[in-house]
Amino acid sequence: MLNFPGMLGRYGLKKISALGRSTIMLYHALVARPQLRKHFPLLVQEIYFVGVQSVIIILVSGLFIGMVLGLQGFNILKDFMATGSLGTLVALAIIRELGPVVAALLYAGRAGSALTAEIGQLKASEQLSALEMMAVDPLRRIIAPRFWAGFISLPLLSLLFCVVGIYGGKFVGVDWLGLDDGIYWSGMQNSVELLADLVPMLIKSVVFAVACTWIALFNGYDCRPTSAGISAATTATVVQSSLAVLGLDFVLTALMF
Amino acid sequence: MTAHIPEDCIVRIEDLHFAYGGKQIYRGLDLQVPRGKITAILGPSGTGKTTVLRLIGAQLTPQRGRVYFNGTDVNAVSRPQLYRLRKQMSMLFQSGALFADMTVYENVAFPLHEHTQLPEELVRDIVLMKLEAVGMRAAVDLYPAELSGGMARRAALARSIALDPDLIMYDEPFVGQDPITKGVLVKLISDLNASLGLTSLVVTHDVREILEVAHYVYILAEGRVLGEGTPAQISHSDDPRVSQFINGDFDGPYAFHLKGSKSYLEEL
Repeated sequence: MLNFPGMLGRYGLKKISALGRSTIMLYHALVARPQLRKHFPLLVQEIYFVGVQSVIIILVSGLFIGMVLGLQGFNILKDFMATGSLGTLVALAIIRELGPVVAALLYAGRAGSALTAEIGQLKASEQLSALEMMAVDPLRRIIAPRFWAGFISLPLLSLLFCVVGIYGGKFVGVDWLGLDDGIYWSGMQNSVELLADLVPMLIKSVVFAVACTWIALFNGYDCRPTSAGISAATTATVVQSSLAVLGLDFVLTALMF
Repeated sequence: MTAHIPEDCIVRIEDLHFAYGGKQIYRGLDLQVPRGKITAILGPSGTGKTTVLRLIGAQLTPQRGRVYFNGTDVNAVSRPQLYRLRKQMSMLFQSGALFADMTVYENVAFPLHEHTQLPEELVRDIVLMKLEAVGMRAAVDLYPAELSGGMARRAALARSIALDPDLIMYDEPFVGQDPITKGVLVKLISDLNASLGLTSLVVTHDVREILEVAHYVYILAEGRVLGEGTPAQISHSDDPRVSQFINGDFDGPYAFHLKGSKSYLEEL
């Protein structure tokens, strides 16, 4: 009978302890003064790994999501004789919600899981310990460049997603279903505003970047140093990042729109 | 932070208590590592020999007791001070822990690139000198995946001595090695200690190999020092637990059957 509350309590304590450890990890990784000569090339390398290598999946997903949105939107708007609003619908849906959210989910799945697995493997093969014993702080050498790479990359990937998604809607609505080109673009231009739509989109993607990258890095750094431990940590990264993105999206939407 | 530790003692551990995952590993461990000598830490598997090395490097924090390195309590210093202290020590990991995406050259040059501003020509000279010392100069452009276990350990040893540390800690250097490689490693530990003026602390359970070169030996079991002395003293110890370990007797004070086993007849 008392087993369940006990288990719940232990689970809660474990999660609070993990939150504390992850905060300490991030603090030590970010608080130290960076050494530009050594750390800038690492940052560029990590931006390539988490950002540039995610471009293809972001472009393809953005294109298809924009095309689906264009198709569904056109068919629904047609019933109300409002196909002229397709540009508005596609642009606002993608910029306000789908762009930052789907880009973050894809980022968590591709780059986040890879970061966790990579750091977990470094831990399992004692390479993190070796760094420590060579007086090289792994939080500054390994964690910090990856964190900043995610911080920089995801907002840019979200922007790319939005651009390609809007073009996807245009391909279907205008080039395939025959909506007037000018109506599509003017609808988008009239409805999308810098401060009301684009800035909140960037804020969302920065928040998602911090959350997803932090989760991915901590799960790798804190994992059990075995193959099963790395596997569990990688799964946890995808699950936790996805839930964090969806939860934070609701909070940010409620606050900003 | 600092304490009066005899000059001839590079590491001193006092009344160390350490538990991990609910298991008490050490209960009042005391030991000293003499400067310039090869000290061996022996003991049965699972007694926490590697843990001692991690405690000296402050990768683990004891619940009680103190660990002094070069007179400084490694657990009482700030994070930047600890990293400065670690430049004076080095560790050879059981797996070698070479960076998998770097060549042997890049691995050995890594600590030099991180901690010095030396021009690349000088770094190259030092790297080749260190690799020559361990007989691995021909493997300079190979990746760790292309090395055998013994070669990887020798390359990792070259990396460990790149910054000329005061102390080098060897974690099970002979595990999984063929007799020739074991002989090479024993010779390297002895030669490097003598030629570079290092202090070596070797954790192992390969008794025969290490007794050939060690100056002082500790045997750890049951969370404390079971026996200590020169190899000759240890080899002729009257303590039945020490002699069982040194001679490799399968039964004795440390029973063949694990503690807690019920009587086999009863269980049948």
